[in-house]
Amino acid sequence: MRVELRLYATLRRFAPNAEGGALFVEMPEGASAADLIAKVKVDAGEVHILMVNGRSSPFVQRLAEGDRIGLFPAIGGG
Amino acid sequence: MAGKDSLALLERGEIPPRYQRNSGTIGIAGQIRLLQARVAVVGAGGLGGNVIELLARQGVGFIRIIDGDRFEPHNLNRQLFATHHTLGMNKALVAAARVAEVNSDVQTHAIPEMLAEHNAETLLDGMEVVVDALDSIACRLLLSQTAQKLKIPLVHAAIAGFTGQVGTILPDGPGLDKVYPTNIPSGKGIETLLGTPGPTPALAAAIQTQEVVKILTGIGQTLAGKLFYFDIGLNIYEILLL
Repeated sequence: MRVELRLYATLRRFAPNAEGGALFVEMPEGASAADLIAKVKVDAGEVHILMVNGRSSPFVQRLAEGDRIGLFPAIGGG
Repeated sequence: MAGKDSLALLERGEIPPRYQRNSGTIGIAGQIRLLQARVAVVGAGGLGGNVIELLARQGVGFIRIIDGDRFEPHNLNRQLFATHHTLGMNKALVAAARVAEVNSDVQTHAIPEMLAEHNAETLLDGMEVVVDALDSIACRLLLSQTAQKLKIPLVHAAIAGFTGQVGTILPDGPGLDKVYPTNIPSGKGIETLLGTPGPTPALAAAIQTQEVVKILTGIGQTLAGKLFYFDIGLNIYEILLL
């Protein structure tokens, strides 16, 4: 299946050639968000918000064809 | 009661000149509601300074300002109340003095202390809305837990570089542990890499202030259970569901 991954802010450095931090990734059926993160070699420890189709989701979330996954680092400044 | 003269005018259907430019959006009933409201702003730095200034100009009648920190030179790039004159002074006390110059209808209660476990419930007691303008993730989580326990809506924001996020945490909705699910020993996020340039907190604070106004007046749609995320550098503006 094919999913769309969007990396935000500092996480974009894990896909420096992806315009705007967006890339399409082929994943096996039944793959989870954690599997996707491992495949694209993003440091999971830097991912604080994980969105699947715009909704906050756990790392174990199973993915489906066409899902849009967003990965956000922690922002804490004031 | 804050702004007695203004309230008396408003209750007669007259709009005090200082609120004329508010009335088309929130109306007389909305202005009365704001003047009778009690809001706490936790943190009077980059986010909080802008929020406090805007709440005062909007006419929120009581603002409790909580910050134990003092202004330092590295605050001058973004913190509205940091000036050459206020360096070394307590942020909450400076903010309260500024509000007195801006709007005499507004009462303030400046608390020159940091929010911590031992005082969190006392500091938030009696407030109708709380604004998270902190710069420590651990403190934000404590604030979220306390506000939910006391059943007070919390308006959160955080910034780093070109990016920021704003959301409203309701007592019975998802808490900030949805935003910060993992313990970060340093208590900091990517702002340690990207810094905190001035326009970013000003943008986030403006949205936070309008959240407070919407919550208090019931006008518009709030970001309850949502997170508005922006990246000004790439013109990304998204609403995420927590």
